Amino acid sequence: MLESILSYGLAVGAVYALIGITYNVMFSASRVFSFTAGMLGMLGGVLGALFIAKMGMPAIVGFVLVLACGAVLGLVTEVLTVRPVLKSIEQHLYVLSTLAFALMVQQLTAVEWGTEAQPFPRLIPIGPGWLDQQFWLPMLACAVTIVGLELLYRKTLIGRAFLACAEDSYAARALGLPETQLRMASFALAGVIGTLAGFTGAEMLLAFFGNQSILNFYGFVPVALGGMGSNRGAVVGGLALGLFQQAANFLVGGIFAAVAVFVVFIIVLLLRPEGLAGASAARRV
Amino acid sequence: MPTSAPEPLLEISGLSAGYGKIGVLQGIDLRVGKGEIVALLGPNGAGKSTLLKAVSGLLPRSGSIRFAGKDMSKAGPRDAVNEGLVHVVEGHRVFTQLTVFDNLLLAGYGMPRGELTARVEEALAFFPEIAAKRADRAITLSGGQQQMLAVAQGLVRRPRLLMLDEPSAGLSPVLVDRVLAAVVQLRAAGTAVLLVEQLIEKALATSDRVYALARGSIVLEARTDEADLPSRLEHAYFGQDVSAPLSA
Amino acid sequence: MTDTAAPAQPARALSLARIEGALPWIALGLVGLLLPLLDDSYIGVIAQRAYIYWILSAGLNLVVGYAGQIAIGWVSMLTLGAYTTAALTAGTATPAWHPYLALVAGGAVGALAGVIVGLPALRLRTFYFAMTTLGFATIVTQVALAWKDVTGGGVGTPGPVFPWPFDPGWGFYYFCFILAALATWMTANLASSRFGRALVAIRDSEVAAEASGVAKSRLLVAVFLFAGALGGVAGGLFASLQSYITPDAFTFEMSVLFFIAILIGGRGSILGPALGTIVLTVLPEFAAPLVQWSTFLYAAMLLAIVLLVPGGIADLLDYKNRRPLEQHREIVPRPELLGRVLGARVASSAITLENIALHFGGVRAIDGLDLEIKSGEVHGLIGPNGSGKTTTLNVISGYYRPNTGLLELDGADLPFDQPQARAGYRIARTFQTPRLVGSASVLENVKIGGTVDGEGSFTESILALPRHHRDEKQIKQAAMQALAAVGLESLANVRADRLQHSELRFVEIARALMLRPAFLLLDEPAAGLSAEEIRRLGALIVAISREGTGVLLVEHHADLIFDICDRVTVLNLGKVLAAGTPAEIRAHREVVSAYLGA
Repeated sequence: MLESILSYGLAVGAVYALIGITYNVMFSASRVFSFTAGMLGMLGGVLGALFIAKMGMPAIVGFVLVLACGAVLGLVTEVLTVRPVLKSIEQHLYVLSTLAFALMVQQLTAVEWGTEAQPFPRLIPIGPGWLDQQFWLPMLACAVTIVGLELLYRKTLIGRAFLACAEDSYAARALGLPETQLRMASFALAGVIGTLAGFTGAEMLLAFFGNQSILNFYGFVPVALGGMGSNRGAVVGGLALGLFQQAANFLVGGIFAAVAVFVVFIIVLLLRPEGLAGASAARRV
Repeated sequence: MPTSAPEPLLEISGLSAGYGKIGVLQGIDLRVGKGEIVALLGPNGAGKSTLLKAVSGLLPRSGSIRFAGKDMSKAGPRDAVNEGLVHVVEGHRVFTQLTVFDNLLLAGYGMPRGELTARVEEALAFFPEIAAKRADRAITLSGGQQQMLAVAQGLVRRPRLLMLDEPSAGLSPVLVDRVLAAVVQLRAAGTAVLLVEQLIEKALATSDRVYALARGSIVLEARTDEADLPSRLEHAYFGQDVSAPLSA
Repeated sequence: MTDTAAPAQPARALSLARIEGALPWIALGLVGLLLPLLDDSYIGVIAQRAYIYWILSAGLNLVVGYAGQIAIGWVSMLTLGAYTTAALTAGTATPAWHPYLALVAGGAVGALAGVIVGLPALRLRTFYFAMTTLGFATIVTQVALAWKDVTGGGVGTPGPVFPWPFDPGWGFYYFCFILAALATWMTANLASSRFGRALVAIRDSEVAAEASGVAKSRLLVAVFLFAGALGGVAGGLFASLQSYITPDAFTFEMSVLFFIAILIGGRGSILGPALGTIVLTVLPEFAAPLVQWSTFLYAAMLLAIVLLVPGGIADLLDYKNRRPLEQHREIVPRPELLGRVLGARVASSAITLENIALHFGGVRAIDGLDLEIKSGEVHGLIGPNGSGKTTTLNVISGYYRPNTGLLELDGADLPFDQPQARAGYRIARTFQTPRLVGSASVLENVKIGGTVDGEGSFTESILALPRHHRDEKQIKQAAMQALAAVGLESLANVRADRLQHSELRFVEIARALMLRPAFLLLDEPAAGLSAEEIRRLGALIVAISREGTGVLLVEHHADLIFDICDRVTVLNLGKVLAAGTPAEIRAHREVVSAYLGA
């Protein structure tokens, strides 16, 4: 049983962590919390099943195509729902435009793909047990993403430009950095990470349109707890959440596990509204 | 060949700008010639920073801005930088999470890598104190060093015109002199400088010409070698006689 | 432009507005009353559903449209109300209750849930709060699924059946109609009360709300409680209409539907969201082949609204605010009216700062400051950028806690970190950039300053009891007087975001005057004003101080300072450089040097 908690917990936790990173990447680029993180995760699974199982593409081709779709969706999100409202000072507009878009995509999926959860094809035929693909694939994806992002931020100039924009977008603009292009690139990157999360986690979570709401919330919890913009916090938070959820599932059953997660989430937020690793509030007057 | 005055590097006419509904600048005319150091002085709230931001495109504005013969009225900061018009904003806003070297690299974002590293070295040569700290994160620098880094960022692209917004703010007198000496070196190398400053005497000593801005309009324009400049400036600032004039 | 013509205009405009406002409701009411004559039960069911959805949305409108809280998961109120009423009537948890009592209980559970969901709003930022409401909605549905004994689990449970005269059929129809009308009346009462205006202030300009003394926490809790109660009642009615409820009747899509209805309708309006709710209820029926696509359409509508018409239907219907304004408007204050506005002269008092020090990180923003603001005096505070002027003002108005030093009013300590308490001490302030509610009228903005003066309670406002009317009458009179004193009464009904910057400055001053301040703190009021406007501003400030108010004027404009101040304090690098009369300061060598930076 412990083995099961560990493997499921870390695996689903890795998916949550990746969705959290998706939120962070979009937030760092624009100071906007986008509702499309869960959408990207959901589509990672649905599109993967569509391309590989339904349309019969080879796994690698399907995989790359899914990530490409993620990038495109990220770009569309930036152009359609973020850029037009960035000029406005009203914070609530950001929330609404991304919510509206994410909902549209979700409903489109429900109509075209169906509302039943479909199985995700097995890509690597290693048998059931702890070596099963559904466990290590998400964790591998998470590790690759973390390492990839570190390399991006430390070794490439564009990565450092991302960090600069995240720290001080006014100074970045004054210095002549191409703000809009960098933001678009960030959203495209977020699109790739989100669909990667959904694709690798789909064997566990299935190709299901309802995953969007689930991932929206459970992917947000690591960000809330670990502090916005902190990818390290998202990983720790995500893995912890996954383990806690699985443990609660076994000990008290599925429904109360959900309640438990929510209660812990609320308590932590009320005690530390900035998360456990957050920055202090900005000056208002 | 006609002996007309050369076209100024930067020519502004009828510039108006503000923040949202608050109008700050009303119809500014100003020029900076090639290789000139021009000081922009004025009391607080006069609009000096607003003027620089309007020129570099950080703020929306109306009026005409011509730089090196090109119309810049629709240009944003990125276009300005590409044309050779660089603006170092006030408040030493460097990227504290990145190293000194990275901060300088970003100032030249988009330039070919080889050329970029050469220019970064050039910029560091102006400020040996921070050259020694090139691999340290900017957060470890003192305020004065961060200010030098910010000015160094402005140098990376070898601008034709460098606009500096209060580079002396928060600096000790020694460091202020270092920065102003760098400004003079820049002129020798062919860069024009538009310098917003609070320290009047030092600004006048460094510059060729001076404008005074008060309440959103230019109230004085002169060459720094003209007589009686300090008292003319006081009049311009306070708009009235001051009982205790500044003695030299 | 002449003042004699001006007062007539607002009165005409107001009575027109009242008729415009009532007309749509009368029309809707007539349609509702007469609908049963059609004797079409299909239409009747749709209408009942619309009423029930509106009862919930009316409450949610206060939370989202007025208070500006992004409560996306509000369907949980419907779920809780429905299951509470159903379970109590069916007797699954306790001996069976009478349906009407069960309905009341449903409302009570909704109220409690509203507070639970709402509490995080007091501490969390927008997106975080939206997420917690979503989480709560999910939890409630999960609990409904799990608690089989009481809720019937996935299989569901029958809804309550109300006895005569509101039995199923047209009787129940009128029940829903009456409750919907009541919900409209109550929420409209609240919206047009000082609480409604305070909510809008919290939504759009929290800083202005604090400066006007609005107690944000208490007010928000009250709103969540009321809105939750409405949602719970709607849930009970819903369960009855459906006659059988299962957890999957309460979907995330439904939650978003209510939310979208309010945004399509427009924030700060009652009619708009009502129309929005009707549209969204009726749409699936007409778009029958597109039923699957209904949520997609709602979401597309929301996106279109956000990008194209953020103000929603209410904005589109707002003809009043499209009439062009006079081009060359002048602000002509009438200082002679200040006596009425400011009321009885306050006994001589003073705000004293003693040895105040405040550092942010390594920077000493204020370094040992002594300052005294006396009644009836205009005290100027000047200094170069970064000298600590605005920081000092922020300490006095309660935003910053100094590291050391005393801040006293007549010898008694003024509390720190409590900007909203300043109104109670009759200390008013304005801000560097005017903080106003752009989508509200000038008059409504000024009325916000009168929030703390009301005596009627939240409940009295909801039920439009006499004290509510007395408060409203008194606040309106005071606001019109304040506007007349600053010279802007002709613009009373104009949307604030249509005004020029200088006019907004004076509106903010009028709002501050509503507190009948003993002390008025002005933060760079001359910025962006023309020379003539600065002169008039100066005359107004002097007149205010002659009525007994102590004024602290933080400014850059040397002329204004020297013209009107009785005393001047000069700050430099957080320390007092000089203090005295304007003549003394002007002659002070060090001051001149500091300004000229030599």
